[in-house]
Amino acid sequence: MKKRNRDKVWWRYLVASIALIFSLMPVIWVIGAAFGPAGLTTQSVIPHVFVLDNFKVLFTDENVPFLKWYRNSLIVCTSAAILQVSIATFAAYAFSRFRFKGRRVSLVGLLVLQMFPQLLSIVAIYILMYKVHLVFPAIGTGSAIGLILVYLGGAMGYNTYLLKGFFDTIPKELDEAAKVDGATAGQTFTKIILPLATPMLAVVMLLSFIGLLNDFVLASLFLQTTDKYTLAVGLQAFISGQYEQQWGPFAAGALLTALPVIILFQFLQRYIVEGLSAGSVKG
Amino acid sequence: MNLKSITMRLLFLSAVNATSLWAAYTLFTIENWAPLIILLFATFLIDFIYFSPRTNASKWLIPGTIFLIIFQIYPVMYTAVTAFTNYSTGHSVSREEAIDGLLKQNVEPVENGDQYSFIAIHLGERKALFLTPANGGDSIIGDEKGVKSSNNSAIPDGWVQFSNEELKTPDIQKWLTALQIPLANGNFLQADSFTTAIENRSLIKFDAEKNQLIDVASGESLKEKGGNFYYLDGTRMEPGWKIWVGFTNFTDVVSNERIRGPFFRVLIWTFAYAILSVLTTFILGLTLALTLNNSRVKGQRVWRSLLIIPYAIPGFLSILVWAGLLNDDYGLMNRALGTHIPWLFDATWAKVSTLLVNLWLGFPYMFLVSTGALQSIPAELSEAAQMDGASNKVVFSRIKLPLLLVTMAPLLIGSFAYNFNNFGGIYLLTGGGPAQNDSDVAGATDILISYTYKLAFSSGKGAQYGLATAISIIIFFIVASVSALSFKRTKALENLN
Repeated sequence: MKKRNRDKVWWRYLVASIALIFSLMPVIWVIGAAFGPAGLTTQSVIPHVFVLDNFKVLFTDENVPFLKWYRNSLIVCTSAAILQVSIATFAAYAFSRFRFKGRRVSLVGLLVLQMFPQLLSIVAIYILMYKVHLVFPAIGTGSAIGLILVYLGGAMGYNTYLLKGFFDTIPKELDEAAKVDGATAGQTFTKIILPLATPMLAVVMLLSFIGLLNDFVLASLFLQTTDKYTLAVGLQAFISGQYEQQWGPFAAGALLTALPVIILFQFLQRYIVEGLSAGSVKG
Repeated sequence: MNLKSITMRLLFLSAVNATSLWAAYTLFTIENWAPLIILLFATFLIDFIYFSPRTNASKWLIPGTIFLIIFQIYPVMYTAVTAFTNYSTGHSVSREEAIDGLLKQNVEPVENGDQYSFIAIHLGERKALFLTPANGGDSIIGDEKGVKSSNNSAIPDGWVQFSNEELKTPDIQKWLTALQIPLANGNFLQADSFTTAIENRSLIKFDAEKNQLIDVASGESLKEKGGNFYYLDGTRMEPGWKIWVGFTNFTDVVSNERIRGPFFRVLIWTFAYAILSVLTTFILGLTLALTLNNSRVKGQRVWRSLLIIPYAIPGFLSILVWAGLLNDDYGLMNRALGTHIPWLFDATWAKVSTLLVNLWLGFPYMFLVSTGALQSIPAELSEAAQMDGASNKVVFSRIKLPLLLVTMAPLLIGSFAYNFNNFGGIYLLTGGGPAQNDSDVAGATDILISYTYKLAFSSGKGAQYGLATAISIIIFFIVASVSALSFKRTKALENLN
């Protein structure tokens, strides 16, 4: 009996190992490329040199303003994620704690609207923001602020639902106790709901941030000068059609971009998995 | 209400009002009325709601609602409206503007007409040409309104000649090319270079009474059809203008030979891509979940952390990296396999590649959610079945799998909807290519959303907004029907309390 059990376990390790090779192979290859020679042609499966030339290119070559892209992405995605989650939090609080006319209709309406993602109306968004650009260049196409504003259009979506569901689990008795003590709705929100929801908000914000970091379509339509590119637009423009020549610097850039996200992800893994089971999809 | 919250509120409202006033002023100066009225109304509404002492939900909902209306609802409506127009490059202006353009373009030099050399001059904002006849004679000054004789061969007092640099600025060039100086005989003078002008006459004229364009030589009206005028010989005049076309964009998808072919090819591939993506990621994810979700496997947490690394990497990066791995000459895949497969340059292999990359990107998600679903199945059920003599196989197929599918169904449908519009997964890997046919906008791996994007922004044939928005609407109906099915099953709507 004992022997049979051992026999049955080894294949599990085998399957998992094969999957592991599949999932890690590209990652290892990229790490090797980042510290290897610049071209794709000269890279070997196991790097035989260890140089930092590729990182040097990213930090010094004026044609590849990688640090600017990094900063742009940080600014755009962080501010948009904070604003998105704030807006969603306010709305979720209203839907969770207030009873008002049209509440159910609004909730259903929001749900239906989610089926029409912004991606489907990019033509309309582009034309709208181009017209805005003609009058107010600071917030139209070509501007990062315009891009952030467009991102905020998606704030009242899935996150509002997720957070409303979470707020619903916070006992109402807490609010009522605060009310008895003379707290306003604003105070109840900041002193009671927010502290209890902080971990949840952190995860939602991280997922929003990753989703925004991944946006290529809107960012590429809005940001059309190299200096203003985000990482997604910049790295795509940098590498497309140039794999043979620029593979090394690109791999270095990919590594620098992915590393912070992977580390954050591992820290928040438990919460993210819980969020996933609730039905969240990576944006 | 305490002092702090009142101060905060006042600060917030003054910022909103100041911004809105500044914007309103700008809109007022350019006489853009509709946005101005909406802006003032919205500002008034915000002031009203936030100054009102009553506690209500709208205070909390306003910020999101504003952005929702501007960047979701309005674009959806605009999309729906545009789908019924012929809006595209060449059909982007109003009829009046198109007629204006046509009148300017359709001119011809008069035989033995006057020829002039000119100097462009200006007096403050007023611009004019100082014209000297090529065959000698008195100079004249001409602008949009007409010509004035000048009894002097020098530029009149006060007027200043444009410098060469000024002449090259876009504003001046635009003015110079558009300038038609009417002459007494009905013809007009037009610049044909930076220094010379010739006498032109109109080939067409606008008859305001009939509201039609007339061919001057024959006096016949020009045919007008589908947002374009046609020359008497039947060739189309450009530009045309924006018109309502009813359901044409939608019916074209079915009946127009040139659009139907690529559209159905793309539609079928979109379904195949979405369904196969869900299936492959689900099967691999579930297999791994079943493999590792066993108490005898050591280090489950480590395995899990390592296996979900693809999920933690920003998707756009992974896809761009994969494009390098699949490089046919030097990529890892061909080197590791010792092959020379054109992963991204052959129609079939490119399709395989998009699915392979999507499998890599998506299986960790399925692995995570399947693990969660498996762990939520009560162990008693399998134990009871085993007690009754069911084999492991039967326990899996009759008990675990059905329960698993019930939990997973909404997630699978969500994943289908996501992949149906997975723009990045296609566009960043293959750019929709390889090209199928030189005349097609759609490449072999284009899905509907990337096809739409190309029609609107990068087809090389100009922007086809009308058709692109019509396809957006079609995508919406497909995804909405599938999602509606899922809502019905999961009864998500009933839980909205």
